[in-house]
Amino acid sequence: MSTSKRITMQQAAEIVRNGSSLTFSGFTIWRRPFALVYELIRQQRRGLHLIEVNGGPHSEFLVGAGCVDIWESCWIGHELYGKYGANLSRRVCNKEVLTEDYSHAEMMFRFAAAAQGAPYAVTQTSLGTDIHNPEYDILGRAGKRDGKRIAKHKYIFVEDPFFDAGPHVLIPAVKVDVAILCVQQVGEEGTVRVAGQLYSDPEAARAADITIVMAEEIVPEEYLRRAADQNTIPSFEVDYVLECPFGAHPTGMFGQYDVDGNFLKDFYGRTRTQEGFDAFAAEWIYGLDHIGYLEKLGWSRMLNLRANTALNYKPRN
Amino acid sequence: MSNYASPEEYGLADLLCCAASREVQDNEIVFAGTGLPMVAIMLAQKTHAPNLKLIFEAGTLDGRPPELPTSVGDARCESGASRSSGLYDAFSIAQRGYVDLGYLGGAEIDQFGNVNTTCIGNYLKPELRLTGSGGNPDINSFAKRTVFIMVHEKRRFVEQVSYITSPGWRVKKWPGGEWVHRRELYGAAFRGGPSAVISTAGVFRFDETDGHMYLDTCHPGKTPSEIKDLCQFDLDVSRITGETAPPTREELHFIHDVLDPDQIFIPKVKKA
Repeated sequence: MSTSKRITMQQAAEIVRNGSSLTFSGFTIWRRPFALVYELIRQQRRGLHLIEVNGGPHSEFLVGAGCVDIWESCWIGHELYGKYGANLSRRVCNKEVLTEDYSHAEMMFRFAAAAQGAPYAVTQTSLGTDIHNPEYDILGRAGKRDGKRIAKHKYIFVEDPFFDAGPHVLIPAVKVDVAILCVQQVGEEGTVRVAGQLYSDPEAARAADITIVMAEEIVPEEYLRRAADQNTIPSFEVDYVLECPFGAHPTGMFGQYDVDGNFLKDFYGRTRTQEGFDAFAAEWIYGLDHIGYLEKLGWSRMLNLRANTALNYKPRN
Repeated sequence: MSNYASPEEYGLADLLCCAASREVQDNEIVFAGTGLPMVAIMLAQKTHAPNLKLIFEAGTLDGRPPELPTSVGDARCESGASRSSGLYDAFSIAQRGYVDLGYLGGAEIDQFGNVNTTCIGNYLKPELRLTGSGGNPDINSFAKRTVFIMVHEKRRFVEQVSYITSPGWRVKKWPGGEWVHRRELYGAAFRGGPSAVISTAGVFRFDETDGHMYLDTCHPGKTPSEIKDLCQFDLDVSRITGETAPPTREELHFIHDVLDPDQIFIPKVKKA
């Protein structure tokens, strides 16, 4: 490969435009591409449409900073470290952000459909719930369903035409402009090797029009290709790569570092109000770059999170 | 079971954890949510259900974590697992019908077991936006049985939940919204539904014919009329079978010395 896929943090953030639809690697408080999320906030990206299998602290930061117009997912919070997404709640109640609720399996199957190039998926999950209440089609009510990037319908109700297995729903494939992944290793040509649970990363990478991979380390392609059966995402599904150690902090990374629970608790406790969020962002985001952020966190804090490489996590005792 | 602990030896979280653990049978496939259920399932693995298979929603299949995970995405989940994979596999396995039991929670519940984790107030003008569904409706749609663990307050046991996030025994058939028995809606995929609610006051079960909740056991120190007063709907207390069995000393040993020594989910009772 003569064309390098390597880019800088600033360039990666510039690929995400105002109004882009965006998704991420990881699961709730694990393997979220935080360093790039901070950079999007610094660059004051606006009008983002987040489409996520599940949300987490990274969504809370983007929502709190005013980057997000639409959040389409099923869950937001900080797990053990914060009960719910206080920034999303505030902005939804103030009508500053639109939310579109699907179930977790529905979101996953919508990504899987997109990754197959199919227009929709079919499922029986969540029948009978208000997730399927036609009155609660928020993007429809807002006149956003253009049939291009946002599907014409939230759901279509059907009866199984093949085996008479009863009611089903059709759910539209997601249309994602950019997927940002945060993983342990990527090769110079884009081959990704994820360690630990894959979450919904393979589907996200395949579904998105542009996939950016931020890795703890960029390794020689030849090294990854010696054991291709251990790789997760093929090279050609990845458009850009960048190296960023501790890029997922304060979320955790299997085999590398644990979740910084104190950081998340602090964020959750201090950002119930917009003033609180702004103060937190002034302290931890604006005026810093990634190295400045790590220096501020300090060696002792980071070493205390470091995973044991035999166990893949930091043992408690 | 024998060797029950005396009231001063355990706390409410211990009681809930042990009651939850006893809902599992050996060899079952169990879907784990974050929190107290994780301790309950691992407790069952250590006691009466050594062959249960544990699925973590984030993608670990038949996991045997040596140290308590703090969430289902935790790096601890996959140690010793049969397979580490992702959500597509976990939900496909659930929809395929492999899952016997799932543990769930909620902010509000009605008499048919419909649960809300989405918002408080009118969905279109909410007073508070909660976490959202997560996998709650999915596990509740696909598993043969689900067990809800809830804080028991009158504002949570309601006539009608603000938003039906997770389907109970009588649900709404969309697009019209008429109430139907869940059996009618799930067709060939009907496998069951909520089988128990373990609250901080008692254990509740459901009449699967008409779908209503009834009181099964009161926790030690609680009376049926007290518990009835903690529900906005007219709770059926006619089928009560007695008192919730307390934890055994063996169970308390596993909870506090083996599974959760750092009191991540289950606090230790302070000795007087």
